[in-house]
Amino acid sequence: MKKITISFVYLLILSAFALNANAQKGQLKLNLDYSYSVPLGSFKKDLISDASPRGVNGSFMYGINNKWSAGLSLGYQDYYQKYPRDVYTTGDHEVTSAVLSNSIQTMPVLAKAMFTPLAEKKAFIQPYVSLGTGISIVDFSQYLGEFSSTATNESFTVQGGAGIMVPFKKNSGAGFNLGAGYNYTAYNKFGYKNLNSLAFNAGIHFPLK
Amino acid sequence: MKTSHLFTAGLAVTVFFLASCKKEPLNQLTQAESRIYISSYDSTANFSSFKTYNIADSVAVIRDGGSSKQLTAVDQAYIDAANKYMQQKGYTLVGKDQNPDIGININRIYNTTTGVIDYTDYLDYGSYWDPYYWGYAGYGYYVPYTYGVYQVSEGLLSIDMLDLKNAATKGKIDLLWNGLIRGEGIFNAANADSGVQTLFSQSTYLHSAQ
Repeated sequence: MKKITISFVYLLILSAFALNANAQKGQLKLNLDYSYSVPLGSFKKDLISDASPRGVNGSFMYGINNKWSAGLSLGYQDYYQKYPRDVYTTGDHEVTSAVLSNSIQTMPVLAKAMFTPLAEKKAFIQPYVSLGTGISIVDFSQYLGEFSSTATNESFTVQGGAGIMVPFKKNSGAGFNLGAGYNYTAYNKFGYKNLNSLAFNAGIHFPLK
Repeated sequence: MKTSHLFTAGLAVTVFFLASCKKEPLNQLTQAESRIYISSYDSTANFSSFKTYNIADSVAVIRDGGSSKQLTAVDQAYIDAANKYMQQKGYTLVGKDQNPDIGININRIYNTTTGVIDYTDYLDYGSYWDPYYWGYAGYGYYVPYTYGVYQVSEGLLSIDMLDLKNAATKGKIDLLWNGLIRGEGIFNAANADSGVQTLFSQSTYLHSAQ
């Protein structure tokens, strides 16, 4: 997983330079965010109730006009929880005493649109709302003691978010991001359904051209 | 890309690396937490109808298809623990020559190759637990319920409870109950008692009527 993440980041950087070299009309921005995610619903109830402080997001957003931008968003979030030893039914007339651990990594790949209502008013703090849709690659490992079963799936994902962008200085294209988003990830494996979460993001954005 | 942008990008990438580390589940487990205890039983058996038992005086060591009998300190610890918890369940220890209702075999199983093992294969007892040991020469063993399939990369300890009481009637020795212990430190004598205790305590149907 770490290799995938490292490859992803380098791909992001290389892509940034490549896109910069092939400048397009409008402004192309790169957003890089740290993500703190809180599981919700059955995700929280049945799998992992602990919040995840291990997440990142990156997106390339192209300015269609002053208020609207669209682009590609990639992310990674690692969820983990260990439950105290308990007895689980693992077969017909078979039970297993084990410490159960759930480990889930989600990697959303989304087409994303962002609306910045005050962009034309040149406000210093720019609020935004965003909507993204696509798929999430979900790696799910469940451990009984040190013994695991693993599944990797692609799941439909919708992400809605809102927040603010604050430039480093006036008229700068680069700045800070602060926001939150709701993630709906349709998931159906091992009897578990949907991995919904609320994510809080903080990061930076800067123009690539 | 401006220098300041490169700096902020570098900072962001550093945060990326720090935040994108996976919490590796195996690194979060203590040795005790790594262990699992699996018990299964014949649902048609009436465990309260059995009163006496005997435990084999050595342990079968099954390794890559071969087997031998051993009695190390670890083996003795498991035999002692099985004795202790059988008696707590109300069963009475008798000599092997006193027609025990239940025979108990303990096995250490090692597999140095990775892969999937069907335990119905290993339960072909004929090669390492000759029914003659229990006074039933010529009999075969029988597993009346389906075993799971487990992946083994190091070793496990197995305790098998055999129906000697009805062997003559049935013409076979049924497996009544099986306990498996897997994970780190299972071949440490200090962990034997707690491991067997866990297997017996989660098998609430195990008790003698006497």
